[in-house]
Amino acid sequence: MLILAKAALGLGATMAMAGAYVFHEGVIRVEVDEHRAGGSHVHFWVPATVVSVGMHFMPKGQLNHTSEEVRPFLPALREIAKDLEKYPNVELVDVANARDHVRVAMVNGKLQIDAVSGDGDVVHLSMPARVLRDVADELEEKAPGV
Amino acid sequence: MKTFRGILGFGIAAAFAAATFLPARTIAQDTTSTTTTSSKAEQWIHVRVESKEDHGETVRVNVPIEMAAKVIPAINKDNLHDGKVRIDSKNTNDVDLRVILDAVRTSRDGEYVTVQGHDNDVRVAKSAGYLYIHVTDKSDGKKAAEKDGKTGAKATAAHESKVEIKVPMKVVDALFSAGKDELDIVAALKALSAHGDTELVTVKDAENTVRIWVDSKNVAD
Repeated sequence: MLILAKAALGLGATMAMAGAYVFHEGVIRVEVDEHRAGGSHVHFWVPATVVSVGMHFMPKGQLNHTSEEVRPFLPALREIAKDLEKYPNVELVDVANARDHVRVAMVNGKLQIDAVSGDGDVVHLSMPARVLRDVADELEEKAPGV
Repeated sequence: MKTFRGILGFGIAAAFAAATFLPARTIAQDTTSTTTTSSKAEQWIHVRVESKEDHGETVRVNVPIEMAAKVIPAINKDNLHDGKVRIDSKNTNDVDLRVILDAVRTSRDGEYVTVQGHDNDVRVAKSAGYLYIHVTDKSDGKKAAEKDGKTGAKATAAHESKVEIKVPMKVVDALFSAGKDELDIVAALKALSAHGDTELVTVKDAENTVRIWVDSKNVAD
């Protein structure tokens, strides 16, 4: 009985630690709704750690190609990502007309992009600013000469 | 006793896990309060565009000047390099802008250019450390008034477009500090940030309003 309790404790603690590690960078939320016949509805939440860890497992050729493509924008992306973390609650861009509305803002330390079109299509993306920095760092590492 | 130790162990592990979870949110909250309090010191550049065309369109952009000053040097494209814009002398008709600026800077406050034309009114003046450029384009107003079949100053004024630019001289100095045929955007942003709240550009016509200003609030009006 005692061994079982110890094993459960060990397992519980490991799970808690693993959970804490996986979610310590926050969560990326993606919601896409196309309000038309046959339109797709995609809703998912993934731990932000998945992005930075996942990049290590990306095929090298693909990563190098992506790095080459985005190389001119990496320094700017890195600076933006670094600085965004200083502004946890601000509205950066808001464009609205009679049909569409696009909003880019930092909400509780997360970069939030909301787009609503007149056709009823809705996209909500939310990611911790830290993820942007990690992605920029990783790509910069793979793109020598930046 | 052993059960107690087990519960205690689990509690510590859970607390550790929770503590690992919490920082991002806690830090975010802390930083929020910091932003509110420190926002007095930090300057933001705001752009607001309101258009009546197509049932109305609004664009609002809020950017911290500090961030812009860091990001701009990282963009190297076309005429923009290292935070400086290279001016093609062809575009300035071989006019040395630095010499003109130097003349304006060393002169007393006053009205330097006043043009009252058929289609445009232009006024360039310096006053209390600010450079003012006011342009009124009357051509569109006249065309619109003619189209409406109306005449007179009031009918024309309703359609004319007005551009008002007010720039602190220190910012102008910083802008031209890079060298000949170059505008130092980063230096200008830093000078702007140090200057404090100011209204920079206002453009108004019958359909659109554009406003660019600097203040310490992180939200537009």
